[in-house]
Amino acid sequence: MTYTFKLKNQVYKVNIEEDEDINIVEIDGEQKEIRFTKVDSNLYSVIIDNESLTIGIFKKGKKIQVFYKGDLFEIEAISDRDGSKAGGPGTGLEIMSPMPSRIVKILKEQGDKVEEEEPVVVVEAMKMESELKAPSTGKIKEIKVSEGDTVEEGTILVTLSPE
Amino acid sequence: MFKKILIANRGEIAVRIIRACKELEIKTVAVYSDADRNAMHVMLADEAYHIGPPKPAESYLLKEKIIEVAKKSGAEAIHPGFGFLSENDSFAELCEKEGVVFIGPSAEAIRLMGDKITARKIAMKAKVPLVPGSDGAVTDVEASRVAEEIGYPVMIKASAGGGGKGMRLVNSEDEFEAALRMARSEASSSFGDDSVFVERFVQKPRHIEIQILGDKHGNVLHLFERECSIQRRHQKVIEEAPSGFISSKTRKKMGDVAVNIAKAVNYYGAGTVEFIMDQEENFFFLEMNTRIQVEHPVTEMITGLDIVKWMIRIADGEKLPFKQSSLKIKGHAVECRVYAEDPTMNFLPSPGTLQYIKAPAGPGIRDDSSMYSGYEITSYYDPMLSKLITWADTREEAIKKMKSALLEYIVLGVRTNIGFLIRVMDDEEFKKAEIDTGFIERHPELLNPQDIDNEPALIAAAMIMNNTISGDESVNGKATGSNWKLAARKMALRGSNEI
Repeated sequence: MTYTFKLKNQVYKVNIEEDEDINIVEIDGEQKEIRFTKVDSNLYSVIIDNESLTIGIFKKGKKIQVFYKGDLFEIEAISDRDGSKAGGPGTGLEIMSPMPSRIVKILKEQGDKVEEEEPVVVVEAMKMESELKAPSTGKIKEIKVSEGDTVEEGTILVTLSPE
Repeated sequence: MFKKILIANRGEIAVRIIRACKELEIKTVAVYSDADRNAMHVMLADEAYHIGPPKPAESYLLKEKIIEVAKKSGAEAIHPGFGFLSENDSFAELCEKEGVVFIGPSAEAIRLMGDKITARKIAMKAKVPLVPGSDGAVTDVEASRVAEEIGYPVMIKASAGGGGKGMRLVNSEDEFEAALRMARSEASSSFGDDSVFVERFVQKPRHIEIQILGDKHGNVLHLFERECSIQRRHQKVIEEAPSGFISSKTRKKMGDVAVNIAKAVNYYGAGTVEFIMDQEENFFFLEMNTRIQVEHPVTEMITGLDIVKWMIRIADGEKLPFKQSSLKIKGHAVECRVYAEDPTMNFLPSPGTLQYIKAPAGPGIRDDSSMYSGYEITSYYDPMLSKLITWADTREEAIKKMKSALLEYIVLGVRTNIGFLIRVMDDEEFKKAEIDTGFIERHPELLNPQDIDNEPALIAAAMIMNNTISGDESVNGKATGSNWKLAARKMALRGSNEI
C-alpha cells in the first residue's frame, strides 16, 4: 500500500508492505525493515532496521501527529487526487488568526494601502499582544472582524487585494 | 504549626505547594475556576471550592471571595504562589485584617518593592548600582526625551509590571512611538495601570538573581544566585544555579547587596532580588520579586533546602535555624520551562487538548508539572506544561542530563518547545556559559532547524495508516490485512487476558 503524506508543505510517498512479523517500508527509493509494538494508548516502540525509537503517535482522521526526539511532526494523509493541490492553502492575500485570540486594535481601514510586513491587526492571546502583519503589499479588501471580537485559530481577519 | 492552608493559585505551583503542605501534615484547600474543574491541584487538595468563571479577574483575583473560602474551610493561612494575588499588597493587608496569615512578606514590603520607581529609590539608598533611566513614570513626550538623552537602545517598562508584560525593547527612534503605545496598552490590560518608565538597555546583559530567605525575627539570608539569561519575549525559559559565569567574589558582593535591600524593607519569607549584569560582571538592580519564583527549584537542588516549606514555617513564626556561613552550594542544577508554544512562530502559545504526555524520570531528574493526558490547555492561563529540572555534580553533567531527559519527553496534541530546548543543550555557546538575554534572537537556527530527519515520522505515519484500515485505531503489532485476521487477533488477545 502506498500512502501520500504532506509534511511542512512537502509531499512524500511511502510504500508499506506487510510480510509476516515485519513491515517493509520503501521511502526515497530505499527499503527498510520495520518492527513495531504498541506500548500504551499513544506510545509505540518502533525498530527501523536496527534503530530503536520510542515514538508518540496521535491520529485523527487524515491528520497524524508524530513525536520523537523532542519534535512534533504534523502530517496529513492525502489521496492521490488531492496531490496536485498539495501546495497548500493561503494565497498570501489574507491575514489569519494564528491561534484563539482577541482583536485588540485594527490599524487599517478598508481601501487602505499596505506595505509588506506592515502591522494591520493587534491581537491578544494569553495576555500577550502581538501585531499581525500584511503578508504582501496591497490594498485592504475586507475587514472581517471588529475590535473586541474573540476569534478561533485559522479565522481570516482581513483580506487584501493585490495592487 | 498551621493545620490547614488555602492555596490561592492553580497549575504546577499550586501542586508544588499542596505537596509541601502534605509533607508537613497540613490539610490543603484548593480554589478553582470553571476552566479548572479537572485541574490537578483540585484533585490533590483535601478540599476544593469553586470560585468563579475562567477569567482570573472573576476568580483567582477575587480577594474577598478567597478570604471567605479560607474562613469557611477553617484555613488559617493562604499561600498565594506566584502571579495572581502574590504581589498584591492590598490582599496581604486584607488577610491581616481578617485574621488569616498571608504566606509571604508584609503588605508594606510588597507595596514598596511592587512599585518599580519606589524600589529604585530604596535600592539607591542601600547603595545598590542602578541602570540609568527616567526618574519615575513618564508622559509620552518625556519618554522620548529621556530615550534620546540616555541613547538607544532603550527599554520601556510598565511601572506596575513583571514577567515581561508591558515591556518593549526599542532599537531606534522610529520604533519608539509604536513600542510605547503597545507597552502602555499591555500594561493597562495586564495591571490596570498604563504608566511606564524608560531606561538604558545594557548590551549583552545577563540576568542574575539572588534568592532571599528571611524570618520574622530579623534574620535575612541569601541562597546564592540563579542565572536566567536564556529568555524569549523577556520571559525566562532556561534557568540554572549557580551561574556558570560569575566569580565567587561577585557572588558574595551580590548576595550582600541583596540582603541589604531585603533588610531595608524588613523583609520576611522568600524573595528574589533581580540584577542585570554586563560581560564585565558589573551588576545593576532590576527589581525585587516579593514571592516564590517559578525557577525556585534550581536553588532547592543546590542548597538542599525546600523553599516552599520554609515559607510556611516562616509565616508560622519559626526562626531560621541556619546561618549564612553554613550554607554551601552543592553541584549544579538546570531548569527548562516546557511550554505549549510554537518556536517556529515566535513562541506563539499553542492551546488545545493535551492528547498524550509522558514525562522523563531517573536519578537527578525532577518534573514539576500539573499535566496529564487528556488535559485541556485553555488560553486563559499561562501555557507552561512543566518545569523540568536536572541536578548533577557539575554544570556539564547537569546539561547532558537535561538533554537526555528532554529526549525522553513525549507530548502530543499541542506544539511544544522541547526540540528547541534540546538544541540549546547542544549549543556550543550555551555549553561554555557564553550566554546573555539576546541568546535566542542570535540563534534562529535553534528555533527552526532545517536538517531534522523526517523519515521516522513518515514511516510512523505509514505504519499507523496501514494499521487502521479496518477503523480500529488500537490494534497492536503489524498491518491488518483483513477483518478476518483482525477478528482472530482480537480473539487471541481476549484469550490471553483470561489466562
